[in-house]
Amino acid sequence: MQELFQDILNTDGVMGVMLFAANGDVLYKEFPTTDSAAPDQRNWRFLIESLEGIRETDLIFEKGRIYIRKTEMGFLVVLMALYVPIAMVRLNCDILLPSLQPSKPGRKLGRFFKK
Amino acid sequence: MIKNVLLVDDDTEMLHALKGGLKRYQESFAVLLAEDGLKALEILKQKIISLVVTDLKMPNMDGFELLAHIMQYYPDIPVIIITGYSTPEMEHLAREGGAVGYIAKPFLIENLARQILTTLRRESEGGTLHNISSGMFLQLIEMEQKTCTIRLEEKSGGKKGILFFSDGELFDARINNVQGEAAAHEIFSWDAVNLSIQNGCALKENRIQSDLQPLILEAMRRKDEKAPEGRRIKDADEAELVPEGVMEQIESAPETAADRLNKLKAKIEAEIGQQCGLEDLYQDSLWDYRVSQLSKIGAVFRLGEFMLAYIDRGDAHDYILMPGQKTTVVTVDPRCPRDKILRAISN
Repeated sequence: MQELFQDILNTDGVMGVMLFAANGDVLYKEFPTTDSAAPDQRNWRFLIESLEGIRETDLIFEKGRIYIRKTEMGFLVVLMALYVPIAMVRLNCDILLPSLQPSKPGRKLGRFFKK
Repeated sequence: MIKNVLLVDDDTEMLHALKGGLKRYQESFAVLLAEDGLKALEILKQKIISLVVTDLKMPNMDGFELLAHIMQYYPDIPVIIITGYSTPEMEHLAREGGAVGYIAKPFLIENLARQILTTLRRESEGGTLHNISSGMFLQLIEMEQKTCTIRLEEKSGGKKGILFFSDGELFDARINNVQGEAAAHEIFSWDAVNLSIQNGCALKENRIQSDLQPLILEAMRRKDEKAPEGRRIKDADEAELVPEGVMEQIESAPETAADRLNKLKAKIEAEIGQQCGLEDLYQDSLWDYRVSQLSKIGAVFRLGEFMLAYIDRGDAHDYILMPGQKTTVVTVDPRCPRDKILRAISN
């Protein structure tokens, strides 16, 4: 699974990636660097609610940036430093998005993503 | 604002007699003296003059030459001719040359004073404002597409300057012998000014090839560079408005929020250009709840204060949200240079 997100995670300054289902469940998360970690948060429903009606958003904070993209499964969240070229991240997400679809019924259990 | 009236005559006795006689009007105008046209030109370079009263026959540069020079280089300055050799032809020539008044010697000082006061009153026929930031007011002028001449006096240093607008477009600026963009930059960097507005613009030729907003931004940048570290990012909008004259409508209109929106728009357009895709700027509390929700996301990731959000909802336009007492909303064309706009705003 990690290989799907590799290009995004390899972008200099990207701190982590999370994939949420539409109900707020965390489907995937990866925070490869030592100075970043997945937040200790169990209920992400607030995040899903705050993104209602949004197809794509780029949130800029004092110490970093969050790029969020709606997918067929829910939302893809990319956490990054302020200096990251957002166009590159967006392009990687464009490429990644077709792979982020729910598996069709009858496929092997646990196979969430298209390859 | 005390206005300067320049009296030009080679008869020094006459000059001093006039100055003495006009002393009683010192609350309305100050009197400066020059003994010929050339000396008058020197004073015109150093001071902001509201009116010139000149004799015709003088050595070095006579009254007609002076009048022609003023009409060419200082067309906003009215000229009254006084002469001891008055003929109908001379009066005709003087008026053709642009003189607003013509008085034959001998004359009563009161008559001259009356003409001076009447002429000076035109300087502020469009109203006066006290203690206002120049940039803030001038953006309004541009928005309202006014044709006017604005005389400004810096509150702290007492410097004086003039701006010429034609249909909202800045045609020229002048401080003493500095003209054009350099003068505009200085004027726009003044914190608080008193100003008077004269309807109409004597300049027919545009001497400034730049929009007003980039000029104001450049002035702000220079001012910020000059300011001591602790005083930077001082909000020029802090100046208090004191209504006076016929400017009430304009005075009540400027609100800090509206002005900030204008500045923001100007900033984006200055950094990216007119083709930046910016469509609208406004404040809308309907977005407040959304902004508070989005700011929570950053809190969870420990990213500090929420600065702004770019939102694509699949609509005809995208939104940029900035938190505040009321959310500031910028609508943009989805094809806009998103990153550049975000950088311009967040800078």
